[in-house]
Amino acid sequence: MHTVLIIDDSDINLTLIKALVLKLGECQPILFDNPLKALEWCRENVPDLVIVDYMMPDMDGLKFISAFRALHGRDEVPILMVTANDQKDVRYDALLGGANDFLTKPIDRIEFGARARNMLSLRTGQKFLADRAQHLAAMVDERTQEIREREKELIFRISRAAEFRDPETGAHIQRMAYYSQAIAMGLGLDQAALRLILEAAPMHDVGKIGIPDYILLKPGKLTPEEFEVMKGHSSIGYELLKESRSEILKAGAQIAISHHEKYDGSGYPRGLKGNDIPLFGRIVAVADVFDALTSERPYKKAWPLEEARRYLEEGRGKHFDPLCVEALLAEWDLVLDVRQRFADEEMPLL
Amino acid sequence: MPGVFVLDRASILERLGGDEEIYKMMVDMFLQDVENNCLTLAAALSSGDAPTLQREIHTIKGLLATFSDEAGAEEAYQAEHKVRNGDLLGVDKAVQGMQVRLREVASVLRAGR
Repeated sequence: MHTVLIIDDSDINLTLIKALVLKLGECQPILFDNPLKALEWCRENVPDLVIVDYMMPDMDGLKFISAFRALHGRDEVPILMVTANDQKDVRYDALLGGANDFLTKPIDRIEFGARARNMLSLRTGQKFLADRAQHLAAMVDERTQEIREREKELIFRISRAAEFRDPETGAHIQRMAYYSQAIAMGLGLDQAALRLILEAAPMHDVGKIGIPDYILLKPGKLTPEEFEVMKGHSSIGYELLKESRSEILKAGAQIAISHHEKYDGSGYPRGLKGNDIPLFGRIVAVADVFDALTSERPYKKAWPLEEARRYLEEGRGKHFDPLCVEALLAEWDLVLDVRQRFADEEMPLL
Repeated sequence: MPGVFVLDRASILERLGGDEEIYKMMVDMFLQDVENNCLTLAAALSSGDAPTLQREIHTIKGLLATFSDEAGAEEAYQAEHKVRNGDLLGVDKAVQGMQVRLREVASVLRAGR
């Protein structure tokens, strides 16, 4: 059913056009003898066709078209303007001002039927395309979400692959990612950044995949030479991820290469200092160390929380960005919640 | 003054696609509104407001054209054109002429019902 809006100050014309519209079939005419009231109606309703007279009191047809077209979502609704035979200049103005076609008075049923049907076909086409565009957009959103979920899962599994060769656990990846997000939250980063760091932080140690087992799995202390090799994991991780087009993998590359930098410039691999260290790297440095301290490893007991907290506080401005430490402490309840949710025996995704 | 109004029912009906029902409805409405239209036209003339008068004459022109009164519509067109150009000289006579014409068309239509 098409809604056809008819605006004419003459009752006889309104009645005539209404009768002709009803003859078209599948049409519901809405009549107004006052263009201002019609415009009010149009604020809440979208007609499928507008038939408007030119010469009317209060507001002429050209002004009506202009006001109607200015309403949101009314720029494509077909408009037929009714003019007298002698008003060629008005017809030109109407066409230039947004009318799609015109009808001449006295109205001829054949001409009216042809023009009105053309306009309604145009409208049907517009609606079909709009529905199709909406449907396609929904499909694209759905597929994009699926791809994003797959990407997240793949990242987690790649990160686990590296961690499997290490005493650290899947729960460590989860916890340090959520601690990183808590710090980002405490720093006031926006929602997109909060999501990005949660998804990218798990890749911080992915470069361990390239470290020989005799070093990675060595139970005792590493020799200085072995430690030099071990330090290479941050650059290896960066090399693995840096050329990706994925925003998450690019952030992962940045985190991989910068999470062992120290605020005072004594870290590796580049010895960056202060804010020269990328923000995500500064955040993950705090989160990673905090989780390492508070977790049990084959070679050490878990530190009590308060002791780990003190360690972070003492490392402010030396190992850690003071603002990142403050941000973690400010979100302490969240930290406790994450610790509880991702205890070491749990491995939610594998 | 236009010549005597002769009802060309066939031409009106042709424009209406031969639809007798719409034709009858329009005739009824014209007859119902004719005195009102004459009064509105007179009021517009007395107001001295050219745009209002032009609009009312335009409406009358449309009404007459609807009933295929080409001569009456032409007279109205001339008057509308003059008023639009700000020439109000003799427009009172034209308005009187239009009132007469409207009543003449009404009487013919009434007789043809």
